[in-house]
Amino acid sequence: MTPEILMLCALGAFLELDTTYAFQFLFSRGIIAGPLLSLVTGDLMSGVQVGVFTELVFIDVNPLGGVLPPSAVGCCVVSLALHAMGIPLCFAFFIGVLGAAFFSFMERSMRLGRCGWVVYQEQKIVKKASQLNWTILVSLAQAFLLALVGFVFICSVSGWIMVRVLPFIPERMQMVSAIAYMAVPWIGLTTLICNFNFKRGGK
Amino acid sequence: MNFTMHLRLFFRSFFLQAAWNYMRFQNIGFAFVMLPVLKQIYKKDTDELPSVLVRYLENFNTHPVMASFCFGALAKQEEILAHEKSLPRYTEKIAAWKEIKRSLSITTASIGDRFFWGALKPFTLLIALMLWLCMGVNIFELSEAGSISYTQVFVALAVAFILFNSIALWVRWKGITLGYKYNAKACFGLTHFDWNRTTYWVKWAGMIFSCLMLGFAIIYFLRDFKDVDFRLVARMLLVFTCVVLSLISRRLRIANMYVYILMMIIFNIACFF
Repeated sequence: MTPEILMLCALGAFLELDTTYAFQFLFSRGIIAGPLLSLVTGDLMSGVQVGVFTELVFIDVNPLGGVLPPSAVGCCVVSLALHAMGIPLCFAFFIGVLGAAFFSFMERSMRLGRCGWVVYQEQKIVKKASQLNWTILVSLAQAFLLALVGFVFICSVSGWIMVRVLPFIPERMQMVSAIAYMAVPWIGLTTLICNFNFKRGGK
Repeated sequence: MNFTMHLRLFFRSFFLQAAWNYMRFQNIGFAFVMLPVLKQIYKKDTDELPSVLVRYLENFNTHPVMASFCFGALAKQEEILAHEKSLPRYTEKIAAWKEIKRSLSITTASIGDRFFWGALKPFTLLIALMLWLCMGVNIFELSEAGSISYTQVFVALAVAFILFNSIALWVRWKGITLGYKYNAKACFGLTHFDWNRTTYWVKWAGMIFSCLMLGFAIIYFLRDFKDVDFRLVARMLLVFTCVVLSLISRRLRIANMYVYILMMIIFNIACFF
């Protein structure tokens, strides 16, 4: 784990707050998070591509109601971190997608796990209204720490495994993985056309 | 509602989902946003505040941008409630307040999900992709790191970012005013905008742009080939397969992510045979 990857995870954790917990300026969407995170690694082109591919691969999952879609920032952080470790982008992105889904599972567990704490805080808020500010602050800190720990964990474990496994991966496996990777924008662009279906929008 | 209070509600609304939980969703964030209003209304009757806060800590879940309509409308209703002297009418008004909160949060969530997540967000993505392709940024294949400039990248990003946020921030700001100003007959200001028509036009534009984008992307992807050879056929086959696969997965309601993961697994298994 290099300082560069740690910085990437920290910036990613900060951007991840924008997904749900604060602002919602959409800094956390793939096309913005990817290039922003690539400023840390210095590989702007990979950042743009990972960002676009992330957005297209997750275009059909939205945070409706209590649905927690895979983290776009998580996907960008893991993909760019692995790519910075020397893993080809076709593998790095695949691990990034899996990492994003795993991070969503972690986040769901955190939200479920803090139900007891929320009830306790509600009781305190009713007694003292100013406790609300503290509750919001602690919740934001929880979310930031979860994202930081989650990203560092996923990057280090997957990076450690991939660096050791990569020399044994046959060349044809790399080639077919690259084909699957190149398929992402086409699947995504076709989904976009379906996404703008008038039946769902209505007039 | 004065300007300072409006500003405080606006800034606090960015933290509506900070304590999102599976029990009562955005309840703590909602109470946090409304706290300055409550403190102002009950400044002479601070003993009342705890019982009022209990009401605000009940279930609340809506779209974060559209929630501003709820803040404005419920602030107004709270003012009316606080001035009610007779107990039966007070109980009646509390029931009405709860009903407004419930119905307004559902309506705003539905509009917000359809317009912001379903139409505007993908539309801004298309704009950024179009700009990148027009500026010669090949997003389909990985070029050398030095072949792309910061200006090329960040101009498209800035356009997508500003386009989405200018609308979202304006709705956030205006929603508080409209929700506060209009009553139930005027749907608390929701009818001030023609949401259906706006969503329809954005989706219509999005449909045209995405078809153009797909065509443009295919030309861009195949532009370097002068003669028909194996690589050109392989590329065309890849595009065709992906488009068909995506259309089938839409019909079967399979998310893109799973299609990609499945492709990766199947391709890797197949390459051994």
